[in-house]
Amino acid sequence: MSMRSQVYEWSNLAASGQTSSLRRTVDAVPVVIPTNREYDIFIGGIGNNITKPAETTATQFIVIEDIACSAYLGGALQVRINTTDYFQNPDVTDQAGVPGLASPYPRGSSDSAVADALTDYVQLLKSFDLYPDVYVLPGQVFQILYSLQSTNGAAAVTTVVAAFVKYTLYDGPDALIANKLLELGVTINPNNVDWYKRTLIEQQQRSRVAAVATNGGSA
Amino acid sequence: MSMRSQVYEWKSQNATAWTNTNTGNSVSIFIGGVGNNITKPAETTATQFVVIEDVAVSPTAFMPSSTIGNGAFYRGLIQGGLGDAGSNGVIGNRAYIQVRINTTDYFLDPDNVGNDGIPGAASPYPRSTNFQPAFNLYPDVYVLPGQVFDALVTCYQNSAFGSSVATNALSAFMKYTLYDGPDALIANKLLEMGISINPGNVDWYKRTLIQSQSAAPMMA
Repeated sequence: MSMRSQVYEWSNLAASGQTSSLRRTVDAVPVVIPTNREYDIFIGGIGNNITKPAETTATQFIVIEDIACSAYLGGALQVRINTTDYFQNPDVTDQAGVPGLASPYPRGSSDSAVADALTDYVQLLKSFDLYPDVYVLPGQVFQILYSLQSTNGAAAVTTVVAAFVKYTLYDGPDALIANKLLELGVTINPNNVDWYKRTLIEQQQRSRVAAVATNGGSA
Repeated sequence: MSMRSQVYEWKSQNATAWTNTNTGNSVSIFIGGVGNNITKPAETTATQFVVIEDVAVSPTAFMPSSTIGNGAFYRGLIQGGLGDAGSNGVIGNRAYIQVRINTTDYFLDPDNVGNDGIPGAASPYPRSTNFQPAFNLYPDVYVLPGQVFDALVTCYQNSAFGSSVATNALSAFMKYTLYDGPDALIANKLLEMGISINPGNVDWYKRTLIQSQSAAPMMA
């Protein structure tokens, strides 16, 4: 199991009286998020978090294939590798990243954070596809940053927002192959990793046959 | 019939019904003692190979708190929760499904700690225009001969599991292909060769074998 499809879901839900938790909690309540500030969905201190910054070890390679977030309140997601933001404006200035309207989570959800009428409501589809994928090389730190343009908190009412990341984790020998594919300029995906393995096996078989032929038919 | 497409559907309100005491705990959909179960842990024999191609669980919608009342419905999902959390803006079960092979959890957080698995909001069951999948289980999960496999459901919203099978009960779904006998041997061979295991590639390997056998008499 050295190529594994992985997901991470974040929401601004935490136990009552807290802003974040390492594990999800039953009947958690939404937390207010300050507007126009980026929060790391892994260790940002809001909602469900993990124990340390997301990073790859020397024997891991990550390919981020999809990011999505709640489509309302001007939510957006940015990917940061080490200290570099992936999405930028044409004038190379900072931007919030992929809007939730372009990549909604959950798919089919509404663009409005109010209960919609049964006869008239929006079921959003995605306008954005993260292709080419984003590569996180061995030893790199990556962050997924969520930001809001409008407040999710009003008197006694706080809106639940969520974000989602889908990635493939290559570990051990498959991470080495992923690095090799990167050198070769070949897209890193499970099919191409399998293709490279098959090529190696075929090469080994050919050299074995050649060695037998050189030795006059004896191995 | 040595390659067979298989499904398993779990409903929390079949047999021993899910209650709020189960909320927050991971429960096996095969032998967890809640909902419909099977007679023994799911495992492959020495002549079987299983490829899990899809897992899904009841979806969740996110809203402002207090938008709809406790017990009210939104797009077919019920607002659950207890006490103050009765209107926390989480509609549905907030359910997740994890795949476990022997004792190893398949889905991990980026800090390499096992997590709850795939959220129902990303892989909903059933699918609808309201709740569409954002997740595709690719590469597939292989269960090798002799391994035990399980799917564990965890949900974090009380009182949202539905009161009967007839309502929107908390439910989960697994789609897998079972390779048996000679096809399981071929599946193992494909695994050694680094080729994805699917019915198309198993058939391709069989054709290759037949072609090489029929070529041999012509060469003799």
